[in-house]
Amino acid sequence: MSTDSGTAPERGLQALPGDLMIWVLIVSELLVFGAGLLAFMGVRLTDPTGFAAAQDQLFRTGAAINTVVLVTSGFLAAKALEWRRAGVSLRPKLALIAAALMGVVFLWIKGAEYAHKAALGITFETHPFFMFYYLLTGFHAFHVAAGVLLLLLVSWRDDPDNIEAAAAFWHMVDLVWVLLFPVIYLLG
Amino acid sequence: MTRAWLLLIGLSLISALTTIGGLSPKIAGLVILGLGLIKARVILSRYLGLAAAPGWLAGFFAVIGLWAILVGGLFLI
Repeated sequence: MSTDSGTAPERGLQALPGDLMIWVLIVSELLVFGAGLLAFMGVRLTDPTGFAAAQDQLFRTGAAINTVVLVTSGFLAAKALEWRRAGVSLRPKLALIAAALMGVVFLWIKGAEYAHKAALGITFETHPFFMFYYLLTGFHAFHVAAGVLLLLLVSWRDDPDNIEAAAAFWHMVDLVWVLLFPVIYLLG
Repeated sequence: MTRAWLLLIGLSLISALTTIGGLSPKIAGLVILGLGLIKARVILSRYLGLAAAPGWLAGFFAVIGLWAILVGGLFLI
């Protein structure tokens, strides 16, 4: 939405960077995850001891590593846009591919976590905690997978507007994770 | 941008140290929630570019801040 040509500061919706629709998507996703996490905290009140015991079975170190992976991936996506706008040709493509590969690393760690839970016989029905855990982290992982595909797509079609939209989606995934991670994994 | 990334990594490290530190679970939980809030602001302002739209940044942060207060309140009950 912002342009480089104006001398007066832009106001209202015009002030938002990038396409308006990506912001509609970002707000929608934040509302969905925000409501889900509030519901999680609400249901936790019915059995705080059970929730804390269930949370202790999570792979916190893996989730912490995933935070570093995701914020680093977001950095690469942001740099790709910066470089593309500066007219650099090859570096943005490589940064986007690297960002996508870090998304794959995130999914691999998440998959290992799910496999470990499955090996322990932990399912949706084991405890209400795990219903929220699988729903919220699974829905987020689905967005990570979609983001990986988007990043790879725009590394091929690397128009600055395309990169900006995909990077904004990726940063939304990042933003949701930094809010989801402490609530699901740490607030026991 | 690099400073924003380093700040996010640093905040993540502090979050990890908070979990293994000697703080009481309630205090540690609130500290971790607060650190998550700061990370959200860095992502909004630097990664998503809302630093150039301070009104929108304040609006987004106010809503996320209200959400964090609700989460923190439910955590303390």
